[in-house]
Amino acid sequence: MTGFTRRKMLTGAAATAVGAVGSANLTTQTAAQTTAADDADRALFIALSAALTGIPKERLSPAVDPVQINTEYLKQAKTDPAFDGLMQIIRADPSNPDAAAGKVLNNSDPNIMYLGRSIILMWYLGAWYEPKTLQKFNSSPPRPPYPADKVISPAAYTQGWTWRVAQAHPMGYSELLFGYWSKEPPALDAFIK
Amino acid sequence: MRQGRSLKLALINILGLIALAGWSMPLLAQAPRGSPPAPAGDINPPVANCNVTPDTIPDPAQPGKRIAKPITGELLASGQPCQQVVNTQGLLDGNPLGNLQRGFDFYSWLTFIAMNSPSDGKTIGQGPRPGGDAFTKWEDLANFRPLGDVMLAKGTKPTWGTRIVPAECKSLDSKSSDGRNKIIFHLGEEAFNQPFKTGPLIDQDGNFALFDILMNRPMYDFIVENGLYSKEGQQKFKSPIRFPPGNNPVSEDATKGIKAEPGRMGAIMLKVSYRILDPEKNKDLIDKFHTSDALIYFPGGRATKTGPACVEKKLGLVGFHVGHKTRGAPQWVWTSFEHVSNVPDAAADGSIEKKLDRYNFFNPKCTSNCPAVNDTPPQPWDPDTSLTFKGPYRSQVVRTRMLPGPVIDEVAKLNAAFQGLVKGTVWENYMLLTTQWPSSFNCVQEVQKLENAGKDLMTVVDPTCAPAPTYLANTTLETYSQGKIPLASSSCMACHGNATTQHVPATASDFTFILEKAQSTRR
Repeated sequence: MTGFTRRKMLTGAAATAVGAVGSANLTTQTAAQTTAADDADRALFIALSAALTGIPKERLSPAVDPVQINTEYLKQAKTDPAFDGLMQIIRADPSNPDAAAGKVLNNSDPNIMYLGRSIILMWYLGAWYEPKTLQKFNSSPPRPPYPADKVISPAAYTQGWTWRVAQAHPMGYSELLFGYWSKEPPALDAFIK
Repeated sequence: MRQGRSLKLALINILGLIALAGWSMPLLAQAPRGSPPAPAGDINPPVANCNVTPDTIPDPAQPGKRIAKPITGELLASGQPCQQVVNTQGLLDGNPLGNLQRGFDFYSWLTFIAMNSPSDGKTIGQGPRPGGDAFTKWEDLANFRPLGDVMLAKGTKPTWGTRIVPAECKSLDSKSSDGRNKIIFHLGEEAFNQPFKTGPLIDQDGNFALFDILMNRPMYDFIVENGLYSKEGQQKFKSPIRFPPGNNPVSEDATKGIKAEPGRMGAIMLKVSYRILDPEKNKDLIDKFHTSDALIYFPGGRATKTGPACVEKKLGLVGFHVGHKTRGAPQWVWTSFEHVSNVPDAAADGSIEKKLDRYNFFNPKCTSNCPAVNDTPPQPWDPDTSLTFKGPYRSQVVRTRMLPGPVIDEVAKLNAAFQGLVKGTVWENYMLLTTQWPSSFNCVQEVQKLENAGKDLMTVVDPTCAPAPTYLANTTLETYSQGKIPLASSSCMACHGNATTQHVPATASDFTFILEKAQSTRR
């Protein structure tokens, strides 16, 4: 599959979000514990994630970050057998995350390519879609009942970037000021920059 | 003494400005000489003795490194912070979040010590009561005023400093053994039922835990000066509600366009929780608690089923929750203390760490037919004048593990150090849970800019600016909302961020529910 771009991926992410809400399996997973190994990989994972999603890495991993959702996401991504292969791509050239993202999304190894897509969906939806599932439904979108997915944690449910891109908030949770529903939402830049 | 303190502040100022970058917001400085006098009627007047002690100091042995500020007796008389003094650099290398958290927790302990010092000016723990206890600064009507004395019937304008003794309490209104007035405790529903009417808390003697809310003079004056003590006054008020923030003194720096400013305390609100102590049955406990001799007033009517009536009780402090609006924290800084014998902690593996033989709100000896942990009592919930719960139910409360492990560890060390300072007094029995503060520096800057311009915060995506830690619950005040579930679990800022006035349509009330208690002048 060539010519797969981030823009196409985001279009797919938005479409997938509709199904994801209906089939969410909200877990109560505890916050991931930081380990030295996580610290070593986190910077590269964040850089690659920023290139994959188009969200600045400073927003994916703020310098002062009480939520630390990236730690949960890194832990989740590491559960995939292709994770090390994916990380080898950015380790080979850490200075060029955009190039690494391109190599991931156009990789000849479908395990790596679809893991890249799963990571994008994870950031945008706070949910984990198995790469194999994405591969299975690549050419024909799923019909109900939708394949299983997993909302990674209660925190992840609130952190999906799809809500911010839409200048909205997840159902049942909003950080906006009381009375926000009676006004226009803040500008897009306020959500994503 | 005063000169020594000035020199110390000057040194802190210089070092602070050098050391602090990025998030840091201490603005340490001496009160500038010749600073302009406060205008008449200033609701947030200059304060001469803001406590600007930082939690860390430069390491003389290693330039660029910082070491812990020694926790010594001088801190007991160092005064109340007007604003947090925090730093992204500190004891933890490469961990700005951890260093800032420790700074805020250090601020919280200084605040606790200052507010709980005797109102006569003595040092904390040097009072005449058992365990060195004393009538504290926050109990003195010269410093703080209970909510029940601010939001009066028929929206009446309150008067600062006036002690209001309901007619039913007058016959009981003798002085305490140390010559102090008894506190007057208004028993509205919020005094026995937890936020959002989630239920009362019942101690192991079967008594209701009681809750009270107080505010300091700048907060009170803002309410009174703007007519916010009545529903009609709130309706007339057309600007966004902005309580005055505290700030440390600032020295002039013409090169950076910084003007000199005196320190100011800003708005502080306090919520306390008590358990009832029977002078005979609990006489072995009294020197373990800060106690207050109180007259509990049951107003009757819609507020309580019983009353009007008044009973006398000795109350033991079990929870102490401070909200302080400051520069750098327009979402307020949220400090939460508890008595060490309230409840056991849940361990990381989910087990219950039963370290004491007796807790205020947990029975460690219960083996069969025990009440469900963290469950609410059966109804009805309204207390009568006995203030005892009808039936055998006793709360079985456990502190849910909801803080990140590193925060728990850091606070435990800080608690041990400060408890050591007040060893042998009632105050060694209190512990900080932690402090919640807004962690996004850019967001705080944006909120402050909007506040200074008199605009609302509708253009800000997260007006709470990423609270750290995300969740915080006091087991005596937010017993039934412990946990880590977004929206459902207790977060000081996320909850108070939804507080409103009684303006129609409702408007945000700057992180306080106090304005919702205003009554109408028409009934």
